[in-house]
Amino acid sequence: MRGFGAFLGKELREILRTWRIWVLPGIVLFLALSGPILAKLTPELIRSMSDGGGLGGAVINLPDPTWRDAYAQWTKNISQIVTWALVIILGGIVSAERRSGTAILVLTKPVSRPAFILAKFASNSIFLVVTTAVGAVATWGVTYAVFAEAPVRVLAEATGVWLVFALFVTALMTLVSALIDSQSGAAGLGFGALVLLSIATLWGPAVEYSPAGLLSAPNAVLLGTDVSLGWPLTTGAIAVVLLVWGAVLAFGRKEL
Amino acid sequence: MTVPAIELTGLAKHYGSFHALDGIDLLVPEGSVFGFLGPNGAGKTTTLRILTGLAQATSGSAKVFGSDVASAGNDVRARIGFLPDVPGFYDWMTAEEFMRFTGSLFGITGSTLEDRVKALLDLAGLADVRSRIGGYSRGMKQRLGVAQALINAPSLLMLDEPTSALDPIGRKEVLDMIASLAGRTTVFFSTHILSDVERVCDTVAILDRGRVVAQAPIEELKSRYGAQKIVLEVTAAADALARRFSAESWVSAVERENHSVVLTVNDIDAARREIPPALVSEGAGLARMEGGEVSLEEVFVELVGGER
Repeated sequence: MRGFGAFLGKELREILRTWRIWVLPGIVLFLALSGPILAKLTPELIRSMSDGGGLGGAVINLPDPTWRDAYAQWTKNISQIVTWALVIILGGIVSAERRSGTAILVLTKPVSRPAFILAKFASNSIFLVVTTAVGAVATWGVTYAVFAEAPVRVLAEATGVWLVFALFVTALMTLVSALIDSQSGAAGLGFGALVLLSIATLWGPAVEYSPAGLLSAPNAVLLGTDVSLGWPLTTGAIAVVLLVWGAVLAFGRKEL
Repeated sequence: MTVPAIELTGLAKHYGSFHALDGIDLLVPEGSVFGFLGPNGAGKTTTLRILTGLAQATSGSAKVFGSDVASAGNDVRARIGFLPDVPGFYDWMTAEEFMRFTGSLFGITGSTLEDRVKALLDLAGLADVRSRIGGYSRGMKQRLGVAQALINAPSLLMLDEPTSALDPIGRKEVLDMIASLAGRTTVFFSTHILSDVERVCDTVAILDRGRVVAQAPIEELKSRYGAQKIVLEVTAAADALARRFSAESWVSAVERENHSVVLTVNDIDAARREIPPALVSEGAGLARMEGGEVSLEEVFVELVGGER
């Protein structure tokens, strides 16, 4: 694994000094900060529309919003918007360096191809975990400010479960990008894989035993539904290892 | 006997039915500045990609300092410096940052790294440039490319078409950098620009359609083909001589220059027999007769161009 540390250092500096530091954190922070406020205002907005006859005279009575609604906004946003954003952003995680020619300069030095792939996966995973943690703290802070109550544990658990799924997506995109030169092509394949995973949730055993169970898990954790996450988390972690291993194999055979 | 810097034996690379390399044999002596010459598409870049581990040969072997590149991996790469034909840089870095990064990939640290970065940026004329690489000209990027290839003080420096996309000033700067390395490291330099090879290389191999058609020190190659060029300087009847020789089957080409007739011959023995009587017959007073100077371009055209 020669060259891993040096290349990982480059990857982390690149995240900090290019567009990448703005996009994912920008999306996550916007959603983290706006979610609780939106949760607070949504019932009032609907009520005002109902009172003004904007809903064809229908009267809608909504309960007062709570911290749980704010957290639901957060889990819904990361499960949908952030997941799709990850697929687009990570479409070129490997192929971008191959297309720009920088991979050639690096890999003609004593840097192994597994080190190259693992550093890519590790740096993006670190970036994802830190960004998500900052986003979770931000949404907790705003929730507390708006609702005067914001339990930490349930938010941490729901966010942690989603993080495992996000790492699965990162590993998936690492493999796809190692296989396909086009960033948009890789993103398309990533979208396809996630759609298939969503369809798989219609089948009970897939939800119970595969990473597909992680798709709805953050919301289930939040609602306190009695769900067993042991198998989805375990198979999700195994899938991460297998996908990264596949990326190493695919990239190792690739001619540059 | 010293181990050659590069040793290719029956090296072949096939893409389906297309043979990019067709069993080439090549020896690059240690310490030489070796020109790997060939037209576009001859297989130069493919050879370099195999030598650097970026691609795998279909058959044959490629050795660098006696180690097979396919199995030695990082051990070989630790001893080489490489500049690809279109080098890609991280545009957000400065030249100094890029040099430090490449040094770190070799595990070079501390004062050794500091000293090398400074010396190589000086050599590349980039010591005072503080801007990011994204704003550099092609010439600056190419000079940085040569500098980064030297960060590990390589035993073998491989350069793929380092001057092909540069303007005359950029070319001169890069060639000066390469020339300054003579005697310090082995340089393996691929190009299709003949004048660059003549200027900096001492030995050359000519590659055409995946095959090595000639390999020798440049002077030997030129003298080998120069023996077939004869310059006759006469006091009279140069035009008549030129017309007469044009009709001979042993003459490939005739050029007229003032009082001289330059013959390119395909049968040197026939030339030796036929020239003296022709001079007498035309009444041309012979002032000088000698073997002509042949340029590498003429050798190249004869070896490569004739079949096209």
